Amino acid sequence: MKRYVYINDDESLQELYCDNQISNRKYTVLNFLPKNLWEQFSRFMNQYFLLIACLQLWSLITPVNPASTWGPLIFIFAVSASKEAWDDYNRYLSDKKANEKEVWVVRQGIKKHVQAQDIHVGNIVWLRENDEVPCDLVLIGTSDPQGLCYVETAALDGETDLKTRVIPSACMGIDFELLHKIKGVIECPNPDKDIRRFDANLRLFPPFIDNDVCPLTIKNTILQSCYLRNTEWACGVAVYTGNETKLGMSRGIPEPKLTAMDAMIDKLTGAIFVFQIVVVMVLGIAGNVWKDTEARKQWYVLYPYEGPWYELLVIPLRFELLCSIMIPISIKVSLDLVKSLYAKFIDWDNEMIDQETGIPSHAANTAISEDLGQVEYILTDKTGTLTENRMIFRRCCISGIFYGNESGDALKDVELLNAVAGSSPDVVRFLTVMAICNTVIPVKSKTGAILYKAQSQDEDALVNAAARLHVVYVNKNANILEIRFNGSVIQYEVLETLEFTSDRKRMSVVVKDCQNGKIILLSKGADEAILPYAYAGQQTRTFIEAVEQYAQLGLRTLCLAWRELKEDEYQEWSLMFKEASSTLVDREWRIAEVCQRLEHDFEILGVTAIEDRLQDGVPETIETLRKAGINFWMLTGDKQNTAIQIALSCNFISPEPKGQLLLIDGKTEDEVCRSLERVLLTMRITSSEPKDVAFVVDGWALEIALKHYRKAFTELAILSRTAICCRVTPSQKAQLVELLKSCDYRTLAIGDGGNDVRMIQQADIGVGISGREGLQAARAADYSIGKFRFLKRLILVHGRYSYNRTAFLSQYSFYKSLVICFIQIFFSFISGVSGTSLFNSVSLMAYNVFYTSVPVLVSVLDKDLSEGTIMQHPKILFYCQAGRLLNPSTFAGWFGRSLFHAIVVFVITIHAYAYEKSEMEELSMVALSGCIWLQAFVVALETNSFTILQHLAIWGNLVAFYVINWIFSAVPSSGMYTIMFRLCRQPSYWITMFLIVAAGMGPVLALKYFRYTYRPSKINTLQQAERMGGPILSLGNIEPQPRSVEKEVSPLSITQPKNRNPVYEPLLSDSPNTTRRSFGSGTPFDFFQSQSRLSSSYSRNCKDN
Amino acid sequence: MTDTDQERDRNKETAFYKFTQQTLPACKPVLTPAWVITIFLFTGCIFIPVGLVTLRASRSVVEIVDRYDAECVPEPFRIDKVSYVQDDSIPKNCSRFLKVHKYMKAPIYIYYQLDNYYQNHRRYVKSRSDQQLLHGRKYHGTSSCQPVEFNNDHAIVPCGLVAWSLFNDTFKFIRERAELKVNRKNIAWKSDRDHKFGKKVYPYNFQNGTLIGGGKLNPRIPLSDQEDLIVWMRISALPSFRKLYGRIEEDLDVDDVVVVHLMNNYNTYSFSGKKKLVLSTSSWLGGKNDFLGLAYVFVGSSSLILALVFMLLHLRYRR
Repeated sequence: MKRYVYINDDESLQELYCDNQISNRKYTVLNFLPKNLWEQFSRFMNQYFLLIACLQLWSLITPVNPASTWGPLIFIFAVSASKEAWDDYNRYLSDKKANEKEVWVVRQGIKKHVQAQDIHVGNIVWLRENDEVPCDLVLIGTSDPQGLCYVETAALDGETDLKTRVIPSACMGIDFELLHKIKGVIECPNPDKDIRRFDANLRLFPPFIDNDVCPLTIKNTILQSCYLRNTEWACGVAVYTGNETKLGMSRGIPEPKLTAMDAMIDKLTGAIFVFQIVVVMVLGIAGNVWKDTEARKQWYVLYPYEGPWYELLVIPLRFELLCSIMIPISIKVSLDLVKSLYAKFIDWDNEMIDQETGIPSHAANTAISEDLGQVEYILTDKTGTLTENRMIFRRCCISGIFYGNESGDALKDVELLNAVAGSSPDVVRFLTVMAICNTVIPVKSKTGAILYKAQSQDEDALVNAAARLHVVYVNKNANILEIRFNGSVIQYEVLETLEFTSDRKRMSVVVKDCQNGKIILLSKGADEAILPYAYAGQQTRTFIEAVEQYAQLGLRTLCLAWRELKEDEYQEWSLMFKEASSTLVDREWRIAEVCQRLEHDFEILGVTAIEDRLQDGVPETIETLRKAGINFWMLTGDKQNTAIQIALSCNFISPEPKGQLLLIDGKTEDEVCRSLERVLLTMRITSSEPKDVAFVVDGWALEIALKHYRKAFTELAILSRTAICCRVTPSQKAQLVELLKSCDYRTLAIGDGGNDVRMIQQADIGVGISGREGLQAARAADYSIGKFRFLKRLILVHGRYSYNRTAFLSQYSFYKSLVICFIQIFFSFISGVSGTSLFNSVSLMAYNVFYTSVPVLVSVLDKDLSEGTIMQHPKILFYCQAGRLLNPSTFAGWFGRSLFHAIVVFVITIHAYAYEKSEMEELSMVALSGCIWLQAFVVALETNSFTILQHLAIWGNLVAFYVINWIFSAVPSSGMYTIMFRLCRQPSYWITMFLIVAAGMGPVLALKYFRYTYRPSKINTLQQAERMGGPILSLGNIEPQPRSVEKEVSPLSITQPKNRNPVYEPLLSDSPNTTRRSFGSGTPFDFFQSQSRLSSSYSRNCKDN
Repeated sequence: MTDTDQERDRNKETAFYKFTQQTLPACKPVLTPAWVITIFLFTGCIFIPVGLVTLRASRSVVEIVDRYDAECVPEPFRIDKVSYVQDDSIPKNCSRFLKVHKYMKAPIYIYYQLDNYYQNHRRYVKSRSDQQLLHGRKYHGTSSCQPVEFNNDHAIVPCGLVAWSLFNDTFKFIRERAELKVNRKNIAWKSDRDHKFGKKVYPYNFQNGTLIGGGKLNPRIPLSDQEDLIVWMRISALPSFRKLYGRIEEDLDVDDVVVVHLMNNYNTYSFSGKKKLVLSTSSWLGGKNDFLGLAYVFVGSSSLILALVFMLLHLRYRR
């Protein structure tokens, strides 16, 4: 199970392992057809149609020409197959692009430019800054003297910070030129998908140091699809290539998402299927009985007395074929077609183009637009999603003095500027930490301006702010930092960098002042990671207050601290640190422990406050969507107070007394359990009061709650309309999504960063914001939008329209198939239950595929309400969320309508065309045209807004029906030769048509009108108001009391800084008592009740229609 | 930038742009009371007169229907009608007397009507070969004609159950001892004679087997001229149907008595079907059929009632 990689050995390895050709393709040219067909036939619908088509080949039982099923079936398969082929071709092209990218590879000791796909295991690959890594490499050299290089692993694990990678010790100090000639062997495991593990050994051959086996870890590798950053060059040995890389192994095709509507349609299809089986059995038995009793007497039928063994099956099977059109073959194609159009509408939408960047919205997943209209929960990231992720240094507190409180901008605070000008030592130290305690790399541009390359937005903000305050971080040359302050340049030598980890929540650098040789530890980090480690005598009260105050303003705080180190203390520690850095087991933990030994007895310098502004329109968007009945959960990695403040300022939660926050925390199982139970109790008690109750939970408590109290937490999740989860990890975000999904809620996850990718992929709908944290989220998402506020339009306009349109389209598809099928069933009763088809094959096929599909396709342009009205009355989304437009009862309505119309057409036809007119072909065309006329009027009646396209499609289709049939009637060899001409010349034909239309549509129109006027649904009310220009009177009655928008959030919190309370969130209420009494899912409950009353009338409405 | 802006502005005018933005101008009809009541009133006002006109047309048709299957079996055979009709040795002559109760203007159509006869039975419908009817014995793909495809290993032309069960009662019409002129030409569709039945296809091996179905065909007349067969082979979709036998081209006066001499050959007794002879004039609407007229009047009056109800509702609950 091991792989031996011989470095730079051109001959031996070429055949053994695959080359570096990446292939994401599902198919090859050869296996496309069988594989694709196999996949398509694994779906129930397709199996059903195939079975029907095969049965039709048996001429004894087929009522119609097999072509009437085979034609559409082949067409449908061709459409799906070509879509797959097209997608696969695009994958092939992107693979090809990656495969043919030129990289520098050492061949026969010379660096050569070769295509990425020609890299073999054992080759030495050279990369330059910002190159994408073409395959998994073991580092052997970098431009950095210490053998470091930086990689961005976002594409691999979604983490955006730069990671350091280091060359193995054995390769240290090998000359640049000699790297070409290096020889050796790497012993590594067979390819796996674990991106955090690489347990291998390296042995170099002479003339290089050859004695020891050097252990390798993941730290020594750079993996495929990472980017080399901030490092001039690096080179490495290819160990895994092509699809055998860590990325390639972990690559899976994401599960296709199924919308709630699709599931409902499948369910209804199943129901129709059962109905069909019942009909078939009843008719089959009736047919066999009739055959044995009556047909034997009908001498002209010449039934043989002895039939074959399968004789009993023949009639049921005939009816099965006759009834097979109950499940419309066209529905999948129609749905696919309209769904891609919905997606296109999203892509095209001009109002969802980000004006700043010009990036339009994009629907990557074309299949799930209807789900947007049915969203019940939105789980949103905070930073970059609700906020702009553009960090601006706003305030600071330096040794107890607050700067920037008056103007809101410390950079303009005269006092601070004066302090800087006066070189106040505290301030200078503070600014120095701001400037150099980071991993920012300054780059001089050609114009001489300094640009900072920062991994984190916060550091960027701090460095820039320091520069504005005249402490300019000018240059970093190897380990020497240069700072320009008041005209003089100060140099520092960086001795160690204690990196930021999410456990330690702080980062430090140890620097040596080159002027006086002092060694200083500079730290910055979260308050809880810094303030407790102040030296014994320091008063940290003011800093705690500052942190509180800033957090309540929604600012992100960092505490800055420093400590002078003694030379020997540093030396001693440095040894330990080096040792810890080179351990193989639990290295991270060891390092953290060693860091801890240095990071204490801080002198706290101050607190910085960085503002991350809310994006435009966020509060309005959240308010609108909440009115639409969507629940919001905020999942953020940020700290609790900041999260709560952001939540307040964007209408996420309401301040006291309207809203209430319940806090779940605790470090141990017991504590969490108790606090969870208390919160749950409060929730239950207060669920009748009209209050917004939200719970807040942090990552630690969440971990415990999810692990041990999943049931209780689930109940809480159901009760609570709002939640804030802070300090959560990407995987916890995904877990929460899963939790809500398991409660059968439709979830939408929206985020912008790599840490949201898992949540986005997990949710029913993933929305990515193509923001400043890169495009990973947008790429992983089903929809990518430029700004959070577009979500409103995405859901309310696109989601809602998509839902409505699909609801109509799918039910209509069943309706029209059922109409024709019922007529066939009725006809069988007057044709000796023998399974004769009234309609000929051509008509049947054209009916399903053409006559009835075209008009309904333009229903994708239908708008029941204008966009403005929906935005004003977002509550109307309830109809979509609750699935009011497509559910068994509305479907029953359409079912009833199809039965009624079939009766109308059948009865009128057989009576109007009785006796001497009862010629088969004529009668069948009369019935068919009756159906077509009814279809046209049904579509017209169900259309809410007629554009020119609708008129064209509906009435044009009617005309096309006649034209097509005239053409068929003109062909002497066709069965219906002259039929249509004959019919059109008969006055009685036209009289019959008008009778069918009037008798079929009259009751439908009357009922629709009655519902519309006297039992209107909310949609009807809005329609009337919108079109008549009248005020909306009745809608307000069912609306819950609108939440008043609280604008005075920030002053309130500034003036009353409050203390933390272990259970109840104090920011919103003064005492636990006040919190206890409150709560408010009462409002939503009322609303649901009134809605459900409404819904029953509405569904009846649909049924009657 | 300004260029693209201008372009965008220009684009805004195009229909495609409006389509992409879903802002095509649309008319949004509302079901206002005025509209709906007008529609129903209008329907009522149109449908009732049309219905009355239709009804008048239907009533203007004079029709004489005479069921003869039972009566035409002589008294001794009535117990076992099937063996009577199947026994070739017994003469099947029968006479019927039809009294004209209303003046009938020529042309008077003669139909025979069969009830409870399932020409639309699947087995029956399928058992024919249109290609053979057109091309004759040259065409061999006649498997659909089973079970009447071959007899003594020779193809049957025309094959299939439909042709085999050809109706073969014949009628002669006598008024005051003079035979009425009955035109038996042009009773089939011209399109069928020209394009569906071969002009050079002659009956072959037809009704030669042990099982004799219905009528026989004159093997010297091509199928395109066998109009009774052509009429018969236009399948009826309903189990009760009339087929044209011929036209009387003389007017019949009130109280005329038409004597029909018929040959009661066709077996409907085994499945208790009825045979009727129908003499009927015709109107612009076709034969006598009150259904359309009545239905129009019904739908029209229902519309009026609905309009009235909605009007009352509207006045009562005016909002």
